[in-house]
Order: sequence, then C-alpha cells, then structure tokens
Amino acid sequence: MTSDAWYDEQNRLTPAGLLDVTFPLTRWGRPGYEADGVRAFLTEVHAEMVRLINERASLWQEVQRLRRRILGKENGNDAILFGKDDAHIHAVRILSSAQRTADRYVADAQAYSGRLTEEARVRRDEIMAQAQQHADMLLDEAQTRARAAAVAAMNHDGPLPETDQERRAVQAELAYLRTFTEVYRQHLKIYTEDVLRTIEDWESRERATSRDIVAGNRAADRQAAGGPVLDSTFVSGPRAGGAGRSGHGRSPGV
Amino acid sequence: MDVARLRASFARIAMHGDEVPLHFYSDLFLKHPETRIMFPVSMQAQRAHLVDALVRVVASADNADNLTAFLRDLGRDHRKFGTLAGHYEAVGDSLLATFAYFCGDAWDAELAADWKAAYELIASVMTAAASEDEQHRPAFWTGTVVAAERKTFDIAVLTVRTEPPLEYVPGQSVAVESPARPRLWRYYSMANAPRADGTVDFHVRLIDGGAVSMALTARTAVGTELRIGPPVGALRLSASTGRDVLMVAGSTGLAPLKAMIEQLAASGQDPGGLGPDSHGQGPGGQGPGGQSPGGQSPGGQAPSVHLFFGARTADDLYDLPDLEKLAAEHPWLTVVPVVADGRFGGQTGLLPDVVVRYGNWSGHDAYLAGPTDMVQDASVRLSAAGMPATQMHVEDFGWSEP
Repeated sequence: MTSDAWYDEQNRLTPAGLLDVTFPLTRWGRPGYEADGVRAFLTEVHAEMVRLINERASLWQEVQRLRRRILGKENGNDAILFGKDDAHIHAVRILSSAQRTADRYVADAQAYSGRLTEEARVRRDEIMAQAQQHADMLLDEAQTRARAAAVAAMNHDGPLPETDQERRAVQAELAYLRTFTEVYRQHLKIYTEDVLRTIEDWESRERATSRDIVAGNRAADRQAAGGPVLDSTFVSGPRAGGAGRSGHGRSPGV
Repeated sequence: MDVARLRASFARIAMHGDEVPLHFYSDLFLKHPETRIMFPVSMQAQRAHLVDALVRVVASADNADNLTAFLRDLGRDHRKFGTLAGHYEAVGDSLLATFAYFCGDAWDAELAADWKAAYELIASVMTAAASEDEQHRPAFWTGTVVAAERKTFDIAVLTVRTEPPLEYVPGQSVAVESPARPRLWRYYSMANAPRADGTVDFHVRLIDGGAVSMALTARTAVGTELRIGPPVGALRLSASTGRDVLMVAGSTGLAPLKAMIEQLAASGQDPGGLGPDSHGQGPGGQGPGGQSPGGQSPGGQAPSVHLFFGARTADDLYDLPDLEKLAAEHPWLTVVPVVADGRFGGQTGLLPDVVVRYGNWSGHDAYLAGPTDMVQDASVRLSAAGMPATQMHVEDFGWSEP
C-alpha cells in the first residue's frame, strides 16, 4: 500500500477512456490487433487493478482507524478531531509525548537529588549532635581526671606551711590544667579522626551509588530511546541539562 | 473584536488543561525548531507560566490599563530570554493553530480573525515595551562571580561584579541564570546597597532537589559568569514616615533587608540626604534620609531599626557576625537573632512568636522577608497586634521554584 496512490491522479485509466481505446491493426491486411499494442494495454490494466486493490486496502484501514477513534471517543477517551493535516498533528503528538517523558525524567532527577540532599542534611545533623554529645562527655571526663590529679598533687605530702601551701596549690592547678589539656586533646584527636572517617566513608559510598545509578540510567535510556525524536532531541536533554545526573525514574527503588 | 466570544472559546479550550500548552509548544518547536533552545529541558513550569499569562490576559481583557501594564512587564521581561520581534509571529501562528485544534467545530473564520487581532494587539504592546526598554538598558547583565563563600551547609553568599553596573533600589531582586543550568532563571535579592565597585551579593539557600540553588551553592566558582535580568520588585524603604523600623528576616530573606540597612547607613552618613549610593533609585526613589533635610548629623537622624534574624539552628544564622558588626557601627540598629530549635543563648522559638512577644510594634514600619509561611504568619500576627496593613511591606519568596 502506498499512500502516494492517493494523489497520483494523472495517467489513470477511466471508464470513459476504456471506451476510447484503439489498437493498431496488424499489417499486411490480416484481421486482428497488433500483439505489442494489446500487451501494453494489458500492462496498463494490470497496473490499474493493482492500484485499485491497494487503495481499497488502504481505505479499509482508514475506515477501521476512524471507527476505532469514534469508539474511543464514545468510551470517553480524548480522541477527537480530524485535522486537515493529520501528519502535522501526529508529529505534534509524538513531540508532546517525548516532552512529557523529558519532563518526567527531570522531575525524577530533581526528586532524587532532593532526597540525597535531605539525607545528607539529616546525616550531618546526626553527626553534629553526636559530636556535641561526645565533646560534652570528653569535657566532663577530662575535668574529673584533672580534678583527681590536682587533689593528688595537693595531698602529695602532708600539711605544709602557708607559703608552701600556696606553692602546692599552684602546682595542683598546673597539674589539673596539664592533665585536662592532655586528656582532652587526645580524646578530641581520636574522635575528630573518627568523625572524618565516617564522613569520608559515607561520601565515597554515595559517590559509588550515584555512579551505579548513572550507568544504569544510561543503559535504560539507550533502550527507551527507540525513535529518533526521543533520542536526539529529548532524552539527551536531561543528561546534558544535567538537573541531577545522579538518576531519574529508573533508579532502583524509585 | 468580540471579547465575550473570545472568552467563551478560551473557556472551551482551557478545559483541555495541560494538553493545550503542550500542543502549543510542540507545534511551535516543529514549525520553528530554532526556538527550542530558548527553553529549558523540562517544560512543566514553562507550560504553567504560559497558562497563567493567558488566563490573566483573558481575565483582564476589559481592563485596558491593567492589561497594558501586565503586557509591558511581560514584554520587558522576555528580553532576557533573547526574544526577538520575529519570534512573536511564530508564537502567534502556533497559538492560533493550537486554539483551532482544541476548539474543534466551534472554530470558524470569524473567531480566527478575532484571535489573530487580539494576539497582534498583545504582541504589539509587548514588543513596543521591549524596544523602549532596549533604549536605556541591556537585555541582561553579565555577572562575574568574584567571591563565593559557603557559609553553612545550606547557604552560600556569592559576590558578583556586573557589567554594566546594575542600577537598583535596595529591596529589589533579579532573575539569575547559571551556566550550569541554562534556561532556568531564579530570583534573588541584592543583599547590599549599590557599591562604588559595582559588585552585588546574593544569599543563596540550597533547596533540596533545587536544580538552580544546588548549582549556585555547590558549583559556582570564582570566575563563573552568571546572567542577570533587570531588577524587579516593589519592596523598598518607604518615604520618610517618621516611624521607626521593624525588620523580620527568615533565613536568606535577610538579603533585601540587609541592603536596606546598608542604604540607611549610607544615607545617615550624608547630611545632604540619600547619600552617594542612592543614584540607583528610580523616579520617586525615597529614603529615610529625606525625613529631615539638612538636619542630619552623621548617623544621627536615621530611624531606629530592629532587625529580627531567624533561622532553624544557631549554626544557620549565617550572616550574624556581619550584622553584629553593622550594629556595633550604627547605634540606631539593634539585631535580634532568633533560633527555632536547638541550643541558643538568645531568643528561641518561631520568628513571628518572638517578634510579637518582644514588644509592641504598631507604631513601626515593618519589612518582612523570607519563606512564605513565615512571612504570612508574621503579618497576620503583627496586624492582630494592631499594626495597620499600610505599614507592612512584604517580600514573599513563595514564587521561587526549586
């Protein structure tokens, strides 16, 4: 079936034309028509019949299509209108659906990146709260130890004369501060390293996950992008536009 | 032109909802593929904008002044997108084709002619406003980032040098486009009074999933060139009223209010009135400096200003050191930091609660900026506490998209 047949109105065999057909007579006076001429005519009739059969098939399809459309309309579908240039309307529909796909990809990517940021925020708050708690604990502990050290220094050897007692008090204060600083510094160092490690771990995990998702999406895009319209114009869009490469709708669990 | 008939047909078309703008843009992009590049990848927000504009035009079709003002703004606004006069015709064609499609049998030559005439009128008002605008300012400014500081996990402060220098009134905002997110424009307020070196500060808050805010906070290095649209917005210090000032800033809502404080500071130092930094004010530009002309001693006659700066936690009070410095320099300024939850040595609770608990503000001029809920809540509470609506000036960031 070729739709071109619709518009190829020239050189058609018409009923009137059939009546006007003349064949060349055979030469030498014998009765009958010249064989080549008849064959040429038959070829033309053959072509015309092929065209008619094709047209009939195409019309039949068109009837079916319209019938389906009318049924669709009756069933409440939004199938309406028979535009003059159906081809353009058809293209508009394809483009519209590609646009919707692109919109969905971008929206998914945004939702995904939103979730990532939210998680990061929650995680940060947790770490901060933990750090605060830990710091308070360390401070208490260091103070307790330093107080013990000061008391130990004070009670080093029995009561002392006034001035010596003052000296001892200063020493005790020094011992307190020294111990406090030492304990606090060590604890804090260990703890800070620990927090940094946690953050790094978490970061590299996130990065790995994002990589997987991007890879997964690329594969999914290649599959989804069957038509040229989707492929060149739109599906590449969200990636190039990059509103969160880290994933759209096809990421696991989304 | 039969307005009633246009409205009736528009109502019929509008029943198809999002299909209408979807069809329109597809038609436009098929007939004029070169226009696709002017739009973002996702057209969802764009379609809503188109429908809003159409609804607004049809609704105000018989209020010429209102409609003209809206269309002139729209025409000027479209300059930054690179819209040219030629694009209007293409848009008109596709709009009419779309309307015809959705009107179905109801579409006839007369209706087509009416819509065509209506669109031509719209386009002529928009293009006229655009070309007038072109006489005295660029379609957009190029802003080079000269400093980018991430103040907290969520908030970055960008300092941008514009070319040519941006002229604006403190309190106004601009649309900003990042090269990392082409065709996505978001509004940010200038956070400073105009400076001699032509730089402006933007306070950018990271919105979860926000394509633009994420690019601006995390990916904007020194040297990045941003596109900046013309200054817009009606928030500004009102003419000398003799009243003292209350400012309520939720998070980055601080930006426009800080610009106003700087404006007050600058005008206070100049006994002549508005100070050297005030040339950006348009016609009718006012400043509290004018309240007692000639009678100002440096820093003397400026109104007393109370700024409440609210954030979720103490760590989120990203600009507090700077504000405290300003307060130390200017005795008329009192800064009250407010934290919603977590430990804090100062005021704690929800910003509107703290503000009304703090004192009676009914004799003040109030300026409110920040998240929509906070701004609405604060204005309701203040008016309940006796503040007349005329004394309240509001910047509501509700229209910003992620």
